[in-house]
Amino acid sequence: MRLMRGYIRFVDLFNYGLGRVMMFALFGLMGILLWSTVSKVFYSPAMWTLETAQFVMVAYYILGGPYSIQLGSNVRMDLFYAELSDHRKACLDALTVFCLIFYLGVLIWGGLASLAYSLGNFMGSPFSFFARLIGAFVTGGPDAASEVLGYIEVSSSSWRPIMWPIKLITCIGLFLMLLQVLSEFFKDILRIRGEAV
Amino acid sequence: MSYELIALLMFSSMMLMLLTGQRVFGAIGFVAVVAALCLWGDKGGFDLGYGALMKLMKWYPMLTLPMFVFMGYVLSESKIADDLYRMFHVWMGGIRGGLAIGTIGLMVLVSAMNGLSVAGMAIGSTIALPELLKRGYDKKMVTGVIQAGSSLGILVPPSVVLVLYAMIARQPVGQLWLAGIGPGFLMAGMFILYIVIRCALNPSLGPALSAEERDIPRREKMRLLWAGTLPLGIFMVMMVPFVMGYTSLVEASAIGALAAFVAALLKGRMSWRVFETATRQTLAISCMFMWIILAALAFGAVFDGLGAVKAIESLFTEQLGLSPWVILILMQLSFLIMGSFLDDTAMLVIVAPLYVPLVGALGFDLVWYGVLYTITCQIAYMTPPFGYNLFLMRAMAPPEITLRDIYGSIFPFVAVMILALIVVMVFPGIATWLPNMVYAN
Amino acid sequence: APGILRAQEAIKWRFQTYAGSALGQEVTKPAIDAINAAAQGELEIELYYADQIVPTGELFQALQRGTLDGVHSDDDSMASPTPVRNFGGYFPLATKHSLDVPVLFNQYGLAEIWEEEYAKVGVKWLSAAGQDPCNFNTVKPITSLADMDGLKLYTFPTAGRFLSQFGVVPVNIPYEDAQVAVQTGELDGMAWSGITEDYTVGWADVTNYFLTNNISGAWIGSFFVNQQRWADLPEHLKVIVSSAIEASHTYRNQWYWGGEARLRAQGDKLELTSIPQDEWKTVEDAAVKFWDEMAEEGETAAKIVKIFRDYNDVVSKAGPPYTF
Ligand code: NA
Ligand code: NA
Repeated sequence: MRLMRGYIRFVDLFNYGLGRVMMFALFGLMGILLWSTVSKVFYSPAMWTLETAQFVMVAYYILGGPYSIQLGSNVRMDLFYAELSDHRKACLDALTVFCLIFYLGVLIWGGLASLAYSLGNFMGSPFSFFARLIGAFVTGGPDAASEVLGYIEVSSSSWRPIMWPIKLITCIGLFLMLLQVLSEFFKDILRIRGEAV
Repeated sequence: MSYELIALLMFSSMMLMLLTGQRVFGAIGFVAVVAALCLWGDKGGFDLGYGALMKLMKWYPMLTLPMFVFMGYVLSESKIADDLYRMFHVWMGGIRGGLAIGTIGLMVLVSAMNGLSVAGMAIGSTIALPELLKRGYDKKMVTGVIQAGSSLGILVPPSVVLVLYAMIARQPVGQLWLAGIGPGFLMAGMFILYIVIRCALNPSLGPALSAEERDIPRREKMRLLWAGTLPLGIFMVMMVPFVMGYTSLVEASAIGALAAFVAALLKGRMSWRVFETATRQTLAISCMFMWIILAALAFGAVFDGLGAVKAIESLFTEQLGLSPWVILILMQLSFLIMGSFLDDTAMLVIVAPLYVPLVGALGFDLVWYGVLYTITCQIAYMTPPFGYNLFLMRAMAPPEITLRDIYGSIFPFVAVMILALIVVMVFPGIATWLPNMVYAN
Repeated sequence: APGILRAQEAIKWRFQTYAGSALGQEVTKPAIDAINAAAQGELEIELYYADQIVPTGELFQALQRGTLDGVHSDDDSMASPTPVRNFGGYFPLATKHSLDVPVLFNQYGLAEIWEEEYAKVGVKWLSAAGQDPCNFNTVKPITSLADMDGLKLYTFPTAGRFLSQFGVVPVNIPYEDAQVAVQTGELDGMAWSGITEDYTVGWADVTNYFLTNNISGAWIGSFFVNQQRWADLPEHLKVIVSSAIEASHTYRNQWYWGGEARLRAQGDKLELTSIPQDEWKTVEDAAVKFWDEMAEEGETAAKIVKIFRDYNDVVSKAGPPYTF
């Protein structure tokens, strides 16, 4: 139980902090779009604005996701759910949350495969690729790690930004979302046991 | 197992998952990835969920979502709408039901400054509702007024729902937005007519303000009228360069957000609390929408992979052999029924891609259909058991408004909205006249 | 009872094309229909259009992994992870007519390079063909190079890099969104196709002018299949797939060649403009430099650029109709 509480405290605090930072990415997004307007009027329009705005937007809602769970902003269909007592809600949630965990797990799986692809791993499992990559980095440093890398994916635009940073960000965000959902699960367990959360 | 059966199975398990009360995006996403894994296994089944993320990234009009949400929250949190409300209060208070009518007017103006119905709901239930109750207005009627009025937020431009529809139907947002204006005013007019008639039949529903309450100097009255130009100003700053082609859609949304921010700043209402709340709520609402769309896109991709579009088309046109109008009406009916049970955003992303190609193939104008679609969404927002406006009303309404009041309040307004839907169906010009005129060349 | 042939389970493929459904009817569907008809139920291919199952940027990855079994696309816009990427789609000023493409592949050795490079990344390359030229269709007229300055155009990545030296701002969005993006102001037009495609997919409805100068005479696009699926396919079905694809090249060539002439001459939606040949020379000279830059990207790239040079030498000596 103490372990659970520790986990909840730590994960919630981290995701809270990250979410608080990410919520201001809104103004980064606004700035990029406004710059896009200004540059069009006064200079030649910039090539990078639309794609950069898209990257910021993805980071905004993926990294901000765990905080939005904390804020309770993810709607539920509460035809029956609303009528339940808090105890029953916790019981039901503790069960159905595994569906959510499964969904996030598959998202992360696909994300890691896509990330491995963006670093040049075309065939074979992404997991063994990352194992090789990390192994090489630990034993041989950055140089050895770059040996493992293949063709680095760039976006299919003329600006050609490399894709792995945004894919890495989404993988981290999805993982944090998973941690947050686990934290919600633990809270439900505590509630079921009648402890205050 | 046939593909049709799989599609049916997916849809019913999604409904079942939603009923458990798990977060909507989790319920939909879970069904989507399980179906993908069963169908395609480790040969691509597992990356369909993440593929949706990459697809959503390329949906550039989604960049407008946080901008329009932020606009709405700045508006409601900074209370710059107070003056607007006072304006209607002072000018309309003298007639029976006048404050309710003024509230509809307020909702129209608020709708012109934000893309969802949240801001209207917040302004309506925090500013208008307490006043209306204090003045002895019927609580059931005014609860309905605010819910129905705020739903105009997605029909009157800017509208996030129309942006989403535009992406799915691949129709120009500018024309869709302009097409929403006529029906928006029509619907507001019908709400007002309803209030006037109800109050004429039963004056106790909406008593007029007393003479001394209305004794306000003419100068003050004019000053308040001036307040009404603020939303118009913000609306124009955003819409004119966009419709004229100087700025793109996503740029216009950023200009709109900036304009709302500056307006609040100039009026001295932009405190840290307001700023923080608006920013936080924008993240919360944007995340809610984006995660649902993410899951729904994965679900839609599996549906697409199953050839559900072709199945639906052949069902309606070949197997049932129906006429275009009958098909259209059936589709709207099924939308209304599904919309009352399902999450509306998910509906849009999953069901609209199935229906829109069929509507186009039947020869209907997809801009006009976008308006029909949005009105259907508005109704879905308000009908139990699942509706955003119901959620919001429950969360924001003062304690004397019970859940029973909220549910009971919406039926006459839903009836009015269905009537409006029929009117726009019969007279398409109400929607298409304005965009056709503006984009005539 | 033994001896009775068990009905064989049909092999099912999912195939996605770069084209949206309007264009896909002409450029991809005929090949797929022919395969399905000839395979007599042994192979059933389901065709999907742009972004339907996976977004175009993820096409290649999906093909390798088997989310898709086959793909029709150019190397450039699907961000192929091979050194041939820059040379698919529209490599600036490399070709003049669609027939140049099969000649380059089958007589000058591009086919071997393509086959080899894709085999390295787990994909079976089947066949490339030429299509339409890369002209400009825009909202405002282009009559000089200066008019290109500041134009936001939907174009191919490599073509976009090339055109940016003339002030063009290349914009990358999903194919099916391009038409609406012109209406919402995200785009000023396209440098993506010939006039046939402009009319077919609706771009002629949202733009007003068509520049007759092209930056490439023929789009280079290929049919790809997942390597394992291809290996698993019985020999006679391989023949059916390959022949149907080859036949579809012929159909496409006629469809475009006829369409380009007819719609330029008789189409009433796009007004034609031209940049005078002596001014256009600047673009041609820039292409020579651009080729040099591209050749420096690696051994394979250098080999391909050399092939393009050799062929263009031959053609320029041969004179018209090869040189127009
Ligand atoms: Na609105
Ligand atoms: Na509903």
